[in-house]
Amino acid sequence: MSQYLCHDFKTPRTDMSRRLPGSMRVVPIFFYAVALATAFFVFNDMRALQQAEQDRLAAIARKDEYLAAKTTLDSEKTTIDAELFRAEAVAKWVEGTRVLQPITVAIARAVPLETNITELNLERSADLPAQVSMLVRLNNSTLAEVAKIESSVNRLHYRSFSPSQAKQGDLIEFRSMLVWQEH
Amino acid sequence: MLDDIKSVLTFAAFRPDADDPEVPWATRFLGRKTLLLNVNRSHVSWRSINRRGKFDKAGFHEGDLADVAAQRGEEWRAMTEGGWCCVSINNRFIISLETGLMRADNLNHLMRTNPRTVLGPKYDRGKRYAIYHHTETTASMLLACEDSMVKVTEDVLRGVGLKPGRICCGLFAMLEYALKGIYDSNRGQAPSSFLLIAACEGSIGALAQQDGQWRDLRCRSGLGPDGMDTALQIISPLVAKAPPGTPVFFVSDGQDPTFRKTLMEQLERVEARDLTQDDLVWKILGEH
Repeated sequence: MSQYLCHDFKTPRTDMSRRLPGSMRVVPIFFYAVALATAFFVFNDMRALQQAEQDRLAAIARKDEYLAAKTTLDSEKTTIDAELFRAEAVAKWVEGTRVLQPITVAIARAVPLETNITELNLERSADLPAQVSMLVRLNNSTLAEVAKIESSVNRLHYRSFSPSQAKQGDLIEFRSMLVWQEH
Repeated sequence: MLDDIKSVLTFAAFRPDADDPEVPWATRFLGRKTLLLNVNRSHVSWRSINRRGKFDKAGFHEGDLADVAAQRGEEWRAMTEGGWCCVSINNRFIISLETGLMRADNLNHLMRTNPRTVLGPKYDRGKRYAIYHHTETTASMLLACEDSMVKVTEDVLRGVGLKPGRICCGLFAMLEYALKGIYDSNRGQAPSSFLLIAACEGSIGALAQQDGQWRDLRCRSGLGPDGMDTALQIISPLVAKAPPGTPVFFVSDGQDPTFRKTLMEQLERVEARDLTQDDLVWKILGEH
């Protein structure tokens, strides 16, 4: 009975539109599917963009934090370096301050008994403690004693710079700059 | 162009046109309120269909359609969406038996647009036609309704803001429906002889089939208060001519229990079977 269609004799219309075939329903369905997919991807991308922006701001904040920490560390390092430089200078100075007594002993032992040491002057440079200005005046001596003095000082790891000797009769004056040599 | 795109995107382009007579009423107006009107000579009755497809308000008003429409037009429009209504003209029509009429797949379309090709010399330009063919013989039931009646009805309804989506004849529709029911429900075993009596709000039609052939058809529209006597005058000769034991089927619009009861009292003598359902005419108009 469902196939029964009631008759109709109304005035026919000429502008009546025919319905589209059912298969064409895929067009709006596809449209809505694409629209939904687009909205989904746009929404996802917007969320990702927002997340990326937040991540970027967080990264910038972290970077600023690290830069501040680096600056602090750099200033601390600079301070430490300055301290270290000063400490090294002090250490070098302290290292340079060798005991002078072995030099006097070595000089005394280097000269024979008949030779008199009339004057022995060891003067340490205040700025360069490793350098010691030596002045030895010998009476009744020869230049051979000077060579002995120089070799005995060398054995104490002092190197002689700018040695000079002056002889006036039996008096010999020997000047030299002794510099401590590291091993 | 924009309307076309909009109609495709809202799927409206795939739904049948509200004015498409090739689609059942319920399918055309799925989810929309519509109004069913039955126009008689002296009164108009109506029934509205809600969005769920159920019958809603009912009404009856004495008077000519033009007068009733002027008074009830506002109310009728409120019962519809877009003003669409289905009109049953129960007046100024004739149903006759014809033989040898053209049968084609697009018959209904031809009957609306070019009935001359179907009816040939029987065509009268002052009439609107509908046809129902016997499934096994060359006989046909032909409805001819006054063209002026249809036009006036359309004009009146348009004047009150209603759009007639279908104009038909309730009595003819009931005859079609009942015949289809008899043939379909008794497929292969349909009675070769029967008498079918249909009544719709003051119109009556009786069709006699004998030995598989439609023999006689009588109808009368616009029966007045003495309708029962006239109805019996129409039916009696057919009942008298029918061989004893011929099944008699009676179907009515299902709205006037008094008329139905009185007529059935007469027809019970020939063991008539009442096929009437409640609101049958409205069901036929509002679903099919």
